[in-house]
Amino acid sequence: MSLQKQQILNKEIESFDFQSGGEASSNLKNILRKLGVPSQTVRKTAIITYELEMNVVIHSLGGELTALISEEELEIRVDDSGPGIEDLDKAFTAGYSTASNEIREMGFGAGMGLVNVKRYADQIDVKSSKEKGTHVKVIINLTN
Amino acid sequence: MTKKHSVLLKEEKCEGCTNCVKGCPTKAIRVHQGKAWIKEDLCIDCAECIRACEYHAKYTKTDQLSEIMESEYPIILIPPSFYSQFSAKISAQKIKKAIKKLGFKEVFDVADAAAALSRKTLDFLNNNSGTYISTSCPVIVRLIKLQFPDLIEMLIPLKSPVELIAERVERKFKEEKNIVPDIFFLTPCPAKLTTVQRAIGQKTSFLSGAIGVENIYQNIYESLEDIVLEEEENQLTTLATIWGSEGGEESILKSWQNINTLSVSGITEVKKLLDEIERNNIPEAIRYFELTSCTNGCIGGVLNVINPFQSQFNLEERIKKIREIMQKENIDLIRKDDEFYNFALSNKITADNVSKLDTDFKKAMQKLEQLQKEIEILPGLDCAACGAPDCKTFAEDVINGRASRTDCIFMLREQLGRLADDLSILANELPPVMGSKKEEADDS
Repeated sequence: MSLQKQQILNKEIESFDFQSGGEASSNLKNILRKLGVPSQTVRKTAIITYELEMNVVIHSLGGELTALISEEELEIRVDDSGPGIEDLDKAFTAGYSTASNEIREMGFGAGMGLVNVKRYADQIDVKSSKEKGTHVKVIINLTN
Repeated sequence: MTKKHSVLLKEEKCEGCTNCVKGCPTKAIRVHQGKAWIKEDLCIDCAECIRACEYHAKYTKTDQLSEIMESEYPIILIPPSFYSQFSAKISAQKIKKAIKKLGFKEVFDVADAAAALSRKTLDFLNNNSGTYISTSCPVIVRLIKLQFPDLIEMLIPLKSPVELIAERVERKFKEEKNIVPDIFFLTPCPAKLTTVQRAIGQKTSFLSGAIGVENIYQNIYESLEDIVLEEEENQLTTLATIWGSEGGEESILKSWQNINTLSVSGITEVKKLLDEIERNNIPEAIRYFELTSCTNGCIGGVLNVINPFQSQFNLEERIKKIREIMQKENIDLIRKDDEFYNFALSNKITADNVSKLDTDFKKAMQKLEQLQKEIEILPGLDCAACGAPDCKTFAEDVINGRASRTDCIFMLREQLGRLADDLSILANELPPVMGSKKEEADDS
């Protein structure tokens, strides 16, 4: 039984807001440093949250990032309100992307987003549907 | 007590404005009782406060020429950037001779070690995978130790050019002449001076001290007048003089091999870049980052005398001239005497863990909650009238017991307002007998 997790961050992410894209991940990084989380874990978290955050900015109609923590683990939830990922298996394939040409020209949409998240996360769970949007839950262990 | 830093406060000149507080990239300054004190744990000697202060209350304490001359065997090391302080018409040999005349036993060029370090760096990059960051600018190394500890592993484990040549010179004099020299550095920045006391990745520095360019420039200029060079003396220094400005190191590496490198200067820009590196938002194809805290590289150092634009021009002219006379474009890729340098850093570079709210996780969580509440309460104007750079930093000071909430003038005003409200209520709550009298008096 793990201890009750406490929320340490909840931030709205707007669709196509490239100016503030990355703020949630920066904020979380600063919070984790203040809590004394080991630097390599902070780095992993920064990479994961940035990827997820930019996914919301690029692909969704907007959403939010929530972070909860206990002494044992960090939970990151990223929820958006659509349009959902059509083929989840493909989304976890390196190089697969549905990003538009414009987005690719900006240097995004290399098809490595969820692949990278999975690489650094200890657990990942993605639920997605057209009606309910995409809900990603990532767990990062804090004890080893 | 030895000071940890070489950027210091001249109390009598400080007006208590918050220009330096706001400009400090590590939020290391607080105005307290009208004076801008530097928090030693957070200072990385970048000298941004020296640039920001209109009253010249922030300064660098370097060694004085007279103090250096008390040494029995003083040797001075000249950085590539120093040559930018003179027109290219004055030869490097002449400048060196003028410096020597001030009383130094020997004068050496750091550029020689810089060229050797570039060769070693290329070799290192070709034999190791991954991306690396230059360790030559001590401010950048300290910034990473303090704010980007997860990037420490990217720092290339090689000594800076100054330490490289200092070690070599020290050994040479000990072995060949049985002399233990005092080695000084002619520094363009306070950060290099700080490394004399607090070496990075080494147990101790090979330097005995450092003197700021501004402290010796005039002496050199005067000494230059009577220097006459013999024909054979008029050699030119190495092309590695280009190290003195931003992109110098990068251009040397690229002259040998098609390698992906990036150079960024100016501490604000460097911080942005490190943020991007931290979240993997920089192409992995980049192998090496040349980063300097001062805009334009070392020629932008705060202790230099000539403005960085003119310096840039001077340095470019000098390089052109060296190329013409040497009749070659690039530095040699192989030099036998490189083996006399001891490149590897002896100690691991470690993190400065000062951002933790508490060492105990539960206590840190409690403090985080307090902190988030405190931030909510504060006005969020970041006016710095409390002496901290912004409301968030102030909130942290409050919950750590280093400031009180009423140091915020808005919070104080609110509290006074409430107090005034209470007073007026109290003032109207007079005993009935007096109250009626008061009403009569008001009517009349």
